[in-house]
Amino acid sequence: MSEYGVLLQQVINGLSLGAMYALLALGFTLVYGILELINFAHFNVFMVSSFIGMWTLEAVGISGQSHVLTGLALAGVLALAFAVTMLAGGVLGVAIERFSLRPLRKVRGPAAMITTIGVSYILFNVILLGVGAESKNYPNPMPVVRWQFGQVTLELREVLIWGITAVLMVALHLFVHRTRLGKAMRATAQDAEAAQMMGVDVDRVIVTAFFVGSALAGAAALIFGLYYNFTSFIIGYTAGLRAFTAAVLGGIGSVGGAMVGGLLIGLIESLGGQLIAVRWTDVIIFSILILVLVFVPSGLFGRATPTKS
Amino acid sequence: MAKIGKLPPGTERRARQWRMRMPLALPGRFFGSRNHARALIATIAIAAVIFPLIHRNDADIDSMANALAFAALALGLNIVVGFAGLLDLGYAAFFAIGAYAYGILSSWQLQPEWTSLWEPFQWLGLVAHNHTSAGDFVHFQVSFWLMLPVSAAIAAFCGILFGAPTLRLKGDYLAIVTLGFGEIVPIVVRNWPSLTNGAMGLNGVAPPQLFGFDFGVSATPYYYVGVALVALLILVSLRLRDSRIGRAWMAIREDEIAAEAMGVNLVRLKLLAFACGAAFAGATGTLYIAKLQTATPDMFMFPVSVMILVMVVFGGLGSVWGVVVGALILQVLQSWVLEDLSGWLHALGRLVDIGWLQHVELASSIELIFGIILVFMMLYRRQGLIPATRPQPALNLAEQTAQVSRGGFASLAASPAARPEAPSPLLEISGLSVRFGGLLALHSVDLTVPEHAVVAVIGPNGSGKSTLFNAVTGLVRASQGTIGFAGARLDRLRPDRVLDRGIARTFQNIRLFPNLSVLDNVMIGMHARLDTGTVGSLLRLPAARREEEAARERALEILALFGNRLLPRAEHPAASLSYANRRRTEIARALASRPKLLLLDEPTAGMNPAETLELAEQIRSLNRNGLPILLIEHKLDVVVSLADNVVVLDHGEKIAEGAPDLVRRDQQVIRAYLGRTAAFA
Amino acid sequence: MLEFRAVDTFYGDLHVLKSVDYRIEAGEIVCLLGGNASGKSTTMKAIMGTVTPRRGEILYEDRPLAGVSTAERVRRGIAPVLEARRLFPRMTVYENLEMGAYTRRRGLEFEQDLARVLGLFPHVEERLRQIAGTLSGGEQQMVAIGRALMARPKLLCMDEPSMGLSPAYVEQVFDIIREINRQGTTIFMVEQNANMALQIADRAYVLQTGQVVLSGPAAELRENEMIREAYLGEIKAP
Repeated sequence: MSEYGVLLQQVINGLSLGAMYALLALGFTLVYGILELINFAHFNVFMVSSFIGMWTLEAVGISGQSHVLTGLALAGVLALAFAVTMLAGGVLGVAIERFSLRPLRKVRGPAAMITTIGVSYILFNVILLGVGAESKNYPNPMPVVRWQFGQVTLELREVLIWGITAVLMVALHLFVHRTRLGKAMRATAQDAEAAQMMGVDVDRVIVTAFFVGSALAGAAALIFGLYYNFTSFIIGYTAGLRAFTAAVLGGIGSVGGAMVGGLLIGLIESLGGQLIAVRWTDVIIFSILILVLVFVPSGLFGRATPTKS
Repeated sequence: MAKIGKLPPGTERRARQWRMRMPLALPGRFFGSRNHARALIATIAIAAVIFPLIHRNDADIDSMANALAFAALALGLNIVVGFAGLLDLGYAAFFAIGAYAYGILSSWQLQPEWTSLWEPFQWLGLVAHNHTSAGDFVHFQVSFWLMLPVSAAIAAFCGILFGAPTLRLKGDYLAIVTLGFGEIVPIVVRNWPSLTNGAMGLNGVAPPQLFGFDFGVSATPYYYVGVALVALLILVSLRLRDSRIGRAWMAIREDEIAAEAMGVNLVRLKLLAFACGAAFAGATGTLYIAKLQTATPDMFMFPVSVMILVMVVFGGLGSVWGVVVGALILQVLQSWVLEDLSGWLHALGRLVDIGWLQHVELASSIELIFGIILVFMMLYRRQGLIPATRPQPALNLAEQTAQVSRGGFASLAASPAARPEAPSPLLEISGLSVRFGGLLALHSVDLTVPEHAVVAVIGPNGSGKSTLFNAVTGLVRASQGTIGFAGARLDRLRPDRVLDRGIARTFQNIRLFPNLSVLDNVMIGMHARLDTGTVGSLLRLPAARREEEAARERALEILALFGNRLLPRAEHPAASLSYANRRRTEIARALASRPKLLLLDEPTAGMNPAETLELAEQIRSLNRNGLPILLIEHKLDVVVSLADNVVVLDHGEKIAEGAPDLVRRDQQVIRAYLGRTAAFA
Repeated sequence: MLEFRAVDTFYGDLHVLKSVDYRIEAGEIVCLLGGNASGKSTTMKAIMGTVTPRRGEILYEDRPLAGVSTAERVRRGIAPVLEARRLFPRMTVYENLEMGAYTRRRGLEFEQDLARVLGLFPHVEERLRQIAGTLSGGEQQMVAIGRALMARPKLLCMDEPSMGLSPAYVEQVFDIIREINRQGTTIFMVEQNANMALQIADRAYVLQTGQVVLSGPAAELRENEMIREAYLGEIKAP
């Protein structure tokens, strides 16, 4: 393959990764937009959801990559897996808000953020202790199908990612722009007190934000497993770092920003790995994070710096 | 220059009485007397010293040495997070820097070729000339004892480097950036094998030597160094906490804006906090690596930073003894208790024949326990195990029902400074405009405050009065116009520089430092007038001690000006005071800075008529003693009784100026307040 | 329709409203006047439910409002026009109007109310798709009033509707307030511009540091010298 072809291939990879990071970043940014809270636990909700997805698939008899399904069976199994994983993620997110964050809502300072670090730790270690440190082979019923376009190869799994991500993003867009509750969410993020004066139940809006955000993390988690064919207790950290940087780069609190940021980070990761070296991608991502926060805290699309201090 | 002047008889005596009743800085505050505290500390110290002699198990001594290392780290993070309120999630980076600094300079890792340039270092004993068959190389063998302070210095320098970009960031963002740095350091270490031997870790790190005695692999000498280090760091922490520096840090933690307005240089103090915290970690890193004789990047990853944070949160944010106890408890938990507990669970499992109980290893679940502790503490006991501030006893009945005494203001008028016929202008504002985005908050305002005068600024809501104050004190930048004070320009100065020049202010919605005592609040007002720096605070030089004593005396005297309203509550946290008393405290704090001009923003807001009258008289007394005052006030009777000149603002413009009586009858002023009549009237 | 009986509110230990009594009959325009820091905004918040009185009662249609959530109060017919408008800056004008009707069902009534609002504010119709934050202050005020009307309120509570507006817009706003009242909505208005307010009000209360120092029919108050003193902070409360 020529260099051009390699690069193009990496762009495709990058977009697939980016889609996944975008979903993860979206969930994170939804909560931040309303509460101005950095929820560290979000990324381990992602990790836990990926295990739940794995167990769901195993429960219907899929194990490893050799159980291949096609057609209606494949669609059905995937639909089931997504439904369960997203629901589980959402419920987990809501539980975290209800029991560990709601009591702290009036407390000023970093107390809530520190609590999310604690919750994140708990999730991380429960899985680590429960299932061990080795990566698990992810049950994947998808057949490996490749299409060749000149110098690049497109795989079914990539098309799947793009497809599902697109569907979810459209769904999210419709939700926040066309439904009553979605508009209430946007209103609350812009002016919570005024929203309350319109009769919005702010508590309910917050719970919804956590549910939707965590459900998106669940979707991203299942996508991760199906794309990489593995999962492990550490993916919350590795993917989370990238998704977090994506959210910051796009502008924390901005839904469009999370999407764009996700794609950009995906591209940077895959092209960076190709052009520099894979082992330096973490440093690159962290550096982007620091540079954005220090010089352009509002990111690409974000509002002015937050009001909370 | 405002002189408080002669105080009424009895004030000094009262102040002295209160001072003697006040609890002390040491844990004496918990034990009711200095002697009890001293006894406890002595006992602990003796126990610490004889511990390895009576308990000969080397593994246990090693565990305790580790525990001491983490206590030292907790003390360092406590300065950054607990004192200064800067949430650092990447603290382990400094630990790593200190460790690798020693490790690289005392092992076989770096072996540059020998040249004559190295000879002076060889003469100093820092390197050795290594003759091998492959050539001549340098072998670094810098002494452990030298590296202890040097690592601390290197880490402190890095602390300043990492802290600098974070200075303007809000709390959450600061945490993320520090987390980033905390992650980058181990990754760089791992990916730079020529310097650090990468993931395999440094080996062959030389153990310390003391007068020919090689520390070797036994844990005991390291344990003693650990004890000494922790004792030193505790002393340093306590000295800093109770000094001008510590007060300034806590002021920053409580309310940055108010701190800056009271003369605290935010940049310098935040960087100092980072540097001190980093220095602690750097020195500890050296000790830790010397004991381990190796270092790998895995030892310094995010979980380590979190663990130290858990120790600080568990022990008590800002509490020196608390974090030491917290660190020791958690380390002991990790090394001893959990293993024993696992053993019991295994036995229990065999007893009731439950499979997983027989195999559970609690020690590896220490991180899970940390997570649970973090969540639990945040939800149920945010102040930690040993809180930094102990709850003050409520005032007894006699104190509560005591007749309110008015304090010394009345007699201040006894020796009024002579008022010159034509006082020169002290504050001169000319053509001041302030623009926020598209909104013109102030438009070409002229205002003069002559010496010895009281000038009042009045106007309806939103007319720009507070913006005027903010522009004068440097909180907002003027878009146009000049501000002159005592002949010099004030325009582009930072708030702490403005305070230094002699302008002190209060805020419309009272910005006190809520968790600090009333006395500490007032003493922070003096920050710019005191000179004791870091070194002075650490060494407790006689000059520093005298200065601190004098400052405390003066603060008490200022509190005494308000009679018995504030003095009995001098050690109470400011947040616990009534609204009126909080206002008085804020004024006292401003007075403590020896201002040449006092800016009061709605000082009587929220006070009942009697309190209003009292405060108005107090303000008048201050002015009679030579302190010029610029006042924002809504209650026109107060303005009439106090002001020499009144300036009226409306929609950012000056619409009237003159003697109070004239101004309040001015048609334009009335219209500004009551609103325009409609055209369709 | 709305009644305050000996209401005391506190902010921490600061006594904000001190045993205040108001009474607003259906169909009236009642104004609450006062200078800075007099407790006007707190009154609004107490009506809407974001501040709870420590003592005293607030009655709406003869039923106590204690314990009734803000959403429920909106459903019962109280709608606010907030100080400084506070539209949702990144939503369109149309979406802002929709949010006004948040507590109500969509359907025919919504369409009717929308038509009514567009009728009252002719320029709003052109700007339905515009982002609210880009409108001028006066235009925003129109939308804010419209947004409150979308709740089909019986009682419209307005917090300083003239603040920050040019004189031309102030006149328009007050014209519209009169029209809304003529169409049957009771209006309770907190206002700093006493002169304008007294020209359209039926009755008014004057507040100073949390206490009612003057009250009565607007016609009488207009002539009363004491208003000036109350505003300039000179009256000692009885």
